[in-house]
Amino acid sequence: MKFYVCIKQVPDVNAPLQIKEGHLIQDSDRNILNAYDASAVEEALVLTEKHGGEVEVVLIGSEKAKETLRKALAMGAHKGTHILSDADETYDSYGYAQILAAFFKDKEYDYISCGKQSQDTDAGLTGSMLAEMLNLPYTTNAVGLVANGESLVVKRQGDTGQEMIELPSPGLVTCSNDMNDPRIPSLKGIMQSKRKPVDTIAISDLSGSASEAGAKTTILAYEEKPEREPGKKFEGEPEDIAREVARLLDTEANVI
Amino acid sequence: MSTQLLTYISVNDGKIKRSSLEVLSRCNQLAEKHGGTSAAIVISDSVSGIADELKQYGPSAIYTIEDPIFKNHLNTPLLRAMSKAVEEIQPSVVAFASTEGSKDILGALAANKKAAALPDMSEFELSDGGVKGKRPVMASKIISAVEATGSPVFISVRSGSYDVAENETNPEITSIPFSFSDDDLKITLREIISASSDRIDLNEAEAVVAAGRGVKDEEGRELISELASVLNAGIGASRALTEAGAYDPSLQIGQTGKVVSPQLYIGVGISGAIQHVAGMANSKVVVAINKDPDAPIFDIADYGLVGDLYKVLPPFIEELKKVKSEK
Repeated sequence: MKFYVCIKQVPDVNAPLQIKEGHLIQDSDRNILNAYDASAVEEALVLTEKHGGEVEVVLIGSEKAKETLRKALAMGAHKGTHILSDADETYDSYGYAQILAAFFKDKEYDYISCGKQSQDTDAGLTGSMLAEMLNLPYTTNAVGLVANGESLVVKRQGDTGQEMIELPSPGLVTCSNDMNDPRIPSLKGIMQSKRKPVDTIAISDLSGSASEAGAKTTILAYEEKPEREPGKKFEGEPEDIAREVARLLDTEANVI
Repeated sequence: MSTQLLTYISVNDGKIKRSSLEVLSRCNQLAEKHGGTSAAIVISDSVSGIADELKQYGPSAIYTIEDPIFKNHLNTPLLRAMSKAVEEIQPSVVAFASTEGSKDILGALAANKKAAALPDMSEFELSDGGVKGKRPVMASKIISAVEATGSPVFISVRSGSYDVAENETNPEITSIPFSFSDDDLKITLREIISASSDRIDLNEAEAVVAAGRGVKDEEGRELISELASVLNAGIGASRALTEAGAYDPSLQIGQTGKVVSPQLYIGVGISGAIQHVAGMANSKVVVAINKDPDAPIFDIADYGLVGDLYKVLPPFIEELKKVKSEK
């Protein structure tokens, strides 16, 4: 099975963030492999270890983002492609999907996979946009993948239950991070990753649609989220505090 | 030209989802404010009762697409149907409630129409030639003000962002012809693993009781069920508990799971990790029960009860029953 996994470098949402004049500032400069993409890499590795095949990771990003590509190679991916983008150029989900569609146009594969969303924008659009641009059958929000001969059986989390969907090859699947715990690269893996092949290509090397890629949406500004104020904290005998809060929910909060 | 807004009405088990009516109500407001129209579209295996019920929520027109293929959620036919509807209706804005079903097609639909998409908006407004609004990013720690222009703009809206307003109208119901070739259906739905059907949908619930790591056993889960039953609440869980198999994965609340915004949220034995808070921070009133007085959930709770849930819940349930019976 040949898997391509699309990965992204994102700021660590657990690192301190602040906003200055509408711009998002991350003092720590801590960047990581998007957790949902890490799950997609892990799942592709498990499937190819079991059934044979190859995992190639693809990342769009500036020179600095290469460290994240190396991380996926250290986890066990066989090779990587770095689609080098100018750090000043901004793309939205549509732009990323256009670049990836141009990259995949002449490639052969069984499956393309990616995280169901990225932790920075939480948009969750790129996967299904890419599938539509490549005219591939797809399944989003996978919480389980099983190889079944030539197909994948995808367990996806729907609104009310889990749907078992047979996804033929070639196809595209987006992964939740509820399906596995991505492996932490071993020292050996990290050493090996340095010798693994990485192709670097420029966006301008890709065909037509990629060079037109940009953004259809605009971020006007970032704003602080209004903080919820801490309310009242009740300590004491369970019976007393239970009675008091039950009454307040009725008389003060008016929610029962 | 005036703006034509189109709301996709999500239906589950023959019932209209409240979150869709919230979006429709907002679109009605915007149409009135800007002199446009606000239409609704229902795509289902059976639309007649639903279209009639929709009349009380004020759309200026109702469109339907009916086909047996829509009995279960499958992305390809839904995508083709919405694509056809957009061609017929030519809306400037297409709005969905943000559900797993709409998340499954929003990107593909925008790509199909070479149009912009703004997902998971917490508020939206019409702008010159498009839509602007706000959406939480970075695990809901930051709000991003965004805009998209062009026609149509596709958006999805977080549940609980707007109130449902009733306003009976008598709109025309138009059926859009649609046929779907089975050859076009490459994916196959083999099975649906549903949790019990009498459960209250978390996205729709007015009250939510969420269980966290502190809920350790069957006794704890029974207390959660009883509390939920007294309040007619939906039951949710933190990632720790769904991963441990104590609750169905569809009940997970958080950045990866469901985003809930009920009138009343009660977190039981939940510490308040940012990933969980990302899924519940827009609840109107937050109650937290935790034995650790320093648990971060107390920083965002309106009412915090410090204590062992096994000791606090039984009297709390009794008191709530009393309050209810006095009404």
